[in-house]
This record gives sequence, structure tokens and C-alpha cells, in this order.
Amino acid sequence: MRGLIALVLILIVQPGLNAQHLHEEADSLLRHIAAMPPNDTATIDLRNDYVKSALFADPKDSGLAKFAQHTLATAKKTGYNKGMMMAYERLGLIYQYTSSNPYKALEYYHQALSIAKSDPGLIVYKWSIEGNIGLIHYEQEEYEQALTCFKDILLHNKTLELTATANIANVYGAMERTDSAIYYYREALANPQTEDNPAFKANLYSNLSLMYGKSGRTKEAMASAKEGLSLTENHGIEFVRPTMYANAAMAYLGVGDDKKAAYYAQQALQLSEQQGNLFLEKTAWGTLSDVFKARGDHERALEAYLRFSSLKDTLNNQNRRVEINRSQMQFEFDKERAIARSEINRQETIRKAYLAVGGVLLLTFGAAFFFYRRRQAAMQQKKEAEFKALVSETELKALRAQMNPHFIFNSLNSIGNYILKHDNKTAYDYLARFARLMRMTLENSEHSEITLAEELRFTELYLQVESQRLPGRFSYDILIEDGLDKEHILVPPLMIQPFIENSIWHGFASLSTGGYISIEVRKDDDMLIYSVDDNGVGRSSGNTERRKKIIGGVSITESRISIFNKQRAGGGKLQIIDKPHKSGTKVEISLPLQTAF
Amino acid sequence: MTVVIVDDEPHCIDRIVFLLRSYISPDHVSCFTTAEEAIKGIDELRPDIVFLDVRLGDKTGFEALAAVSYRNFKLIFTTAYEQYAIRAFKLSAIDYLLKPVEQEEFENAMQKALGKIARESLYDRIDVLLSHLSADNLPKKISIPSKQGYVFLDIAEIVRCEADVNYTHIFSKDGKKHTVSKPLKHFEELLGQHRFFRIHNSHLINMDDVKAYDRSGYITLSDHTRLEVSVRRREGFFKMLGIH
Repeated sequence: MRGLIALVLILIVQPGLNAQHLHEEADSLLRHIAAMPPNDTATIDLRNDYVKSALFADPKDSGLAKFAQHTLATAKKTGYNKGMMMAYERLGLIYQYTSSNPYKALEYYHQALSIAKSDPGLIVYKWSIEGNIGLIHYEQEEYEQALTCFKDILLHNKTLELTATANIANVYGAMERTDSAIYYYREALANPQTEDNPAFKANLYSNLSLMYGKSGRTKEAMASAKEGLSLTENHGIEFVRPTMYANAAMAYLGVGDDKKAAYYAQQALQLSEQQGNLFLEKTAWGTLSDVFKARGDHERALEAYLRFSSLKDTLNNQNRRVEINRSQMQFEFDKERAIARSEINRQETIRKAYLAVGGVLLLTFGAAFFFYRRRQAAMQQKKEAEFKALVSETELKALRAQMNPHFIFNSLNSIGNYILKHDNKTAYDYLARFARLMRMTLENSEHSEITLAEELRFTELYLQVESQRLPGRFSYDILIEDGLDKEHILVPPLMIQPFIENSIWHGFASLSTGGYISIEVRKDDDMLIYSVDDNGVGRSSGNTERRKKIIGGVSITESRISIFNKQRAGGGKLQIIDKPHKSGTKVEISLPLQTAF
Repeated sequence: MTVVIVDDEPHCIDRIVFLLRSYISPDHVSCFTTAEEAIKGIDELRPDIVFLDVRLGDKTGFEALAAVSYRNFKLIFTTAYEQYAIRAFKLSAIDYLLKPVEQEEFENAMQKALGKIARESLYDRIDVLLSHLSADNLPKKISIPSKQGYVFLDIAEIVRCEADVNYTHIFSKDGKKHTVSKPLKHFEELLGQHRFFRIHNSHLINMDDVKAYDRSGYITLSDHTRLEVSVRRREGFFKMLGIH
């Protein structure tokens, strides 16, 4: 279950190449270029060659894009089609791998592609560019498009047939369409091009075994794993070994041979620890945990699982992720070199080697990018979910705060009181208003935004109900700036009421008459300002209950404002001003002003 | 004048009888508390005005209404808090009162009920009402009050609505224009669930009639009208179109 497809599929392994070598190569190219006439087509070719060497020697070289742009400009000036196409393709590579900007890369690849298509002499390059585009789609998880690309290549180009088949299998693997993946892995294995490439073959078997395992075909998984293992052992293919072992462990676990499963998982673990390949290490711990569980050794199973999950957490750090894959790439370079050192034909192979390393890089980076993207998407989703939860929680709290049970029961008490005094008409009027207020509270709190006019209607009604309940206790004014477009300004619902309630219930609690609330609504640049100003006892002399109440109300309002700010990219805030000499409290709420149209 | 009140709660009946006291003696008011009684009672009494509660025990006033054969009365629904029903009342232009009933609201409703227009096309309006309450996918209509009575339009036949201060012009596919004395906001609330979208302060459009959108922010509708989508409404507009 923890078997993630090991995407370390190598294209065509070619000898005689490592980073040091690439550096030398690049440096010598640069020396050549310096000595040549700048507008010559040969210079342009060399410049393009240099970009590729330099890119693979040091992917962090930030000056390369500029260099390639310059090459492109020169090629355009001299009308050299091949130079232009190559320069575009190089820019694509740079954006794909060093700046992780797949969209820009795609743009450049398409430029290159259109030149390749329009010039019959360049048509041979078309398919390798298509291959790059396919990989970008793969990395972007646009699997259908990736499949279209690779299938097109498969149909039209013999030399890229094997790579294309293997890539199709990988894409299907990533899509979890295991049956298709299995079919294409088998196709790839049947391809005669694999005959003289045991490393590639071993890797195909390794992945095939994983796919079989995933689809529950444990016997076939075991058979593939055995094939892969024997190739790995016989040819000493070091760079396939850790993944091969990890996959073999799962295959053995699948057929119930937990002894062998444990052995290979531990081997895989050791190798991946040596390499510092956390991803593989995590997979191995996962398998080990399953092995122990199958054996009934729950203590060690738990221990392995804890290692597994802590590695998972570590891996979730995206920067680390990229680092790991870089070092893994370096490691693979060295291994490749060791495998085929014997078959040396420098002049012939250098050119092919570029292709090969390109392929390796493509896939390694591809894998890195794939996981990076997936992680990023998950993070994004998590953030969104958290934000949504915050929104709904705050809204709920806000709703509760407005439906203050004290207010409801006090209102019911006053109605009862009118009835006792046989003042039926007042009782009924009060009741009807109270009902209208409740109805508005319910309706308004269903919306995240209402018009300012609606908010003010509610505020006014609330003040009416409360002043009827507490005759003579306080008076109020609502002042609205002239020219404010109440019907079209949108505000979060029921934001003013908690502060009015606070003034009435606590600010005026000790006064029997003479309380005064002034509510002001105005516009200040692009902010809407509410102010609630009272002449009550103020915060500092208020009792503790009042202070607690204020703090609660403030924090709800503040989180509502911050949600509102986020949704509107504004800088709304809440300010509470204690007026001098305990002469009352003034609350100012500012919100980013937004109209409906 | 015969008045029927249907409500399963006696105190609600009492309130309406009380409010009716200046119009009619309580002796001429017949009250029913179940849907079955109400159906029988209305068909027998052939009342002039019916006050009908939305919720009647485990039945609804709508079920009762669908079952009566006599419908030539002035109908006023009463409800405490049934949002879905309120939308349907508005769409079919059938009057309703919210409980607890306020005196002023009651007087307004009675003025309307005693006017000439109240009995007009009640059968059709009830059909519109019931169609909005049923779950089937039949084409839904809207009742539009006019000076002469009511016009019934298929909602899908409406291309757009345009604000004209407190009036709204409704343009339908057959090229006709209907003017109603209600603000555009009223129709925005009613038609919002039927794929209508307010693209502008003055324009509410049927999204199914959008034929083209160009980069300058204008859309073209099926009747070839070109309208601007306000900058602030564009995000929502694209969302409605399914382009994110």
C-alpha cells in the first residue's frame, strides 16, 4: 500500500559522463565561443551546445537564460532557423528545470516546435521536443495530454519508441491505471532496444512488479521482481538496486514470504540510508512495518511505522525534497559511469550522452517536480480548508453572539410584563417587532454579505426594540454621511449590533436615564467606517463581566474583519477608544469599501 | 362575505379573527385546523377570502390547496418561517403574512384582498405556486402583476431584466417588454436560482442566453443586446459560466 511508483526510470544509459566532465566540456566550449565570430552559424550551434552542457553541469547557473536569450537574438538576426529552434528548446529546458516554470517552458517548446515543423530540414527534432512537452504535462499531472504526446511519438518515431513506451507506462502508473501501465511496461520489455541495456530492463521489471503488486497480482509481481533482481545482481546495477529491493520486498510480502520481504526491505533501507534517499527510506520503513505486522510483531511494526511517518513529515518539506533529488541525481551520474566504463567510444557517444543525461535529468526532475507539485496542491487544499473552517466557525460564533439569550429572555419578560399590565396592544407591537428582529437576524446571518441599507435597517430596529424595553434609559442617533450608496455597498452582516448591545447593557447599566449612543457611518477614501460612540461608564470602570464581554465581542469581530480583509485584500480594523475622564467608549470599525457593481 | 381561516394552532386563528373584527363579525368566520377539514370546508362554503397556513400538522397548506375544487377566492397564506414557501409566493404573486401578524401588514393584505385584482387569474397563480413547490423538472413560470391583471411568463423565456429606478422591464424571447413596479433586486432574489445573474447595477440576465463575451467586458445576448458586465461582477459571472 505504501509502494509509490519508483520513478527512477532511466532512458538510455550512456557511458563516460559525470558532472566534472560536463564542467570541463562546458568550459572548453566557452573558450571556443570566445574565439569565434559572433554572428556565425557555427558559433550559434556552439552556444546552444554550451547551454546544455552548462545546464547539466550546474543547474543553478542563473546566467544561462540570459545567455540563451542572446543566442536566440543572434540566430533571429542572422535568420538561422536551426539556431533559433535550438535556442528556444534550450530556453525551454532552462525554464523547466532551473526555474521550475513549466508554463514558460511550454511556451518556448512550442516556439521550437513550430520552427521544427515549418522547416523540413529540422523535422527530425520534432519528436524529441514533443517528448519534452509530454514530460511537462506529466509533471503537471495533465496525464491525458502527456499520454497524447507520448503515444504520438510512439507512433511516429522509431528511435524514441522505447522511451515513449516506458513513459506511457509511467504516466498510467501515476494515474493508478495499473492494467494499462502493466501492458506498456511489458511492451517496453519486449522492445529489442532493451536487450543491450540491462539497467533499463531491470528498472522496467522493478516498476512492473510494483504495478502487479498494486493490482493484487502477487504471483506476477513476484516473477517480475525476480527477473529484475537477477538482472540487478548479475550486472551489478547499483543505481537500480535500492528501488529494486524496495519493490522486491513488497512483492515478497505479497506472496507471504515475509522472511525475504524483511531481508530486502532492510537491504533497501540500508542502501537508501547510505544514499541519503529519504523517499526510498520511507518506502522501506513502510514495507518493514507491513512485514512486522504480518508476523504479528506489533511492537516493531509500530516502531517501523513511526519511522515511516516521521520520514513522511520530513519529506513534506518541499525544499528538502528538491535537495534530495539533486543529490540523488548526482549519485546516479556516478553509478552510470561505473556500469559501462568499458564500452568507450568518446567521440561517438558524447552527443548521445547529452540526450541520455537529458533523459535522466528529465525524469529525475520530473519525479521531484511531481512530488513537489502534489505536496503543494495538498498544502494549498489544507490552507483553503483551514480558512473555510475559520470562516464558518467565526460566522457561527458571530451568530451566537447576536442571538444573545439574555436579550431574547429579557424581551420575553417585557412582553410578559405588558400582558400583566393588560397593555395588550403594546405587548403585541413589541412582540411583532421582536419577531421581525429575530427573522432579520436569521436571514442576514445566512449571507456572508448584505447591503449597508439592510444592516442599518437591522440596527435601527434593534435600537427601537431596546429603547422600548428600557424606556428613558437612553436615546440614540444614526448619522449617515450624505451621498453614501447604501443600497449598493456590501458589508458583513450584523457587525454593529454587538457594540450597541454592549453600550446599552454595560455602558448604561448603572444609569437610569440620560444614556446616549451615536452611530455614525461614513466613507474615508476606500474604507467604510462605522463608529459607535456612547456616554456610558467606559471600559476601565466597567465591571469584570463587561470586560470579558468586550473581549469576546472584540475577538469575534476582529476575526470577522480579518476574514473580510482576506477576501477583499483590504486593511479593515477595529479600534476601541476609551474617552477621557471615563466619559464613555467609542468603537470604530473600518472595512474595505466594496460596492456590488 | 365569508372568510375561512385554516391553521393548526388555535392562537393563530384567534389572532386573525381579532384582526378581522373591523371587517367581519367572528360569527361569519369559519376555522379549520386540519387539511382534510379545510378541503371539505372550502368546497362547501365557497368563501371570499381564505387565510391558509403553510404548515398543517404533517400536511401542508399547499396539499390542501391542490385538493380543493373551488378556487374562486382571495388567498392569503400565513407562515412563521418557511423561506422556500416565501420564494414561491413571490414568484406566483400570491399574498402572504408572516406570523406573528403585525397590524399594519394585515391591513395592507386586506386592502389588496378587497381590491379588484385579487381574484384575477387565481387558478393560474396557484398553478405557478404549486409548480415551484414540486420537485419535478417541468418548466417553471413567474406571475407578473400588471394593471390589467397578471402575465405568466416561462422563466426560461426571459432573456433579461433591466432596472428603471423602482420599475423593472422584463424582456422575453418573443421580443415583448413587460414593465413591473418592483425593483430589480426583487427579481434578482427570485430568479437567482434559475440561472439568472446580475451583471450590472441595471441588468439581470439569463445565463443561458449569453451568446458571446468579448474582452472589453461586454456580452451579447440571444436577442442581440450588448451589455456591459461590471468589473466587480466579472469573477462571479465567469464562475456562473463555468470558467474559473
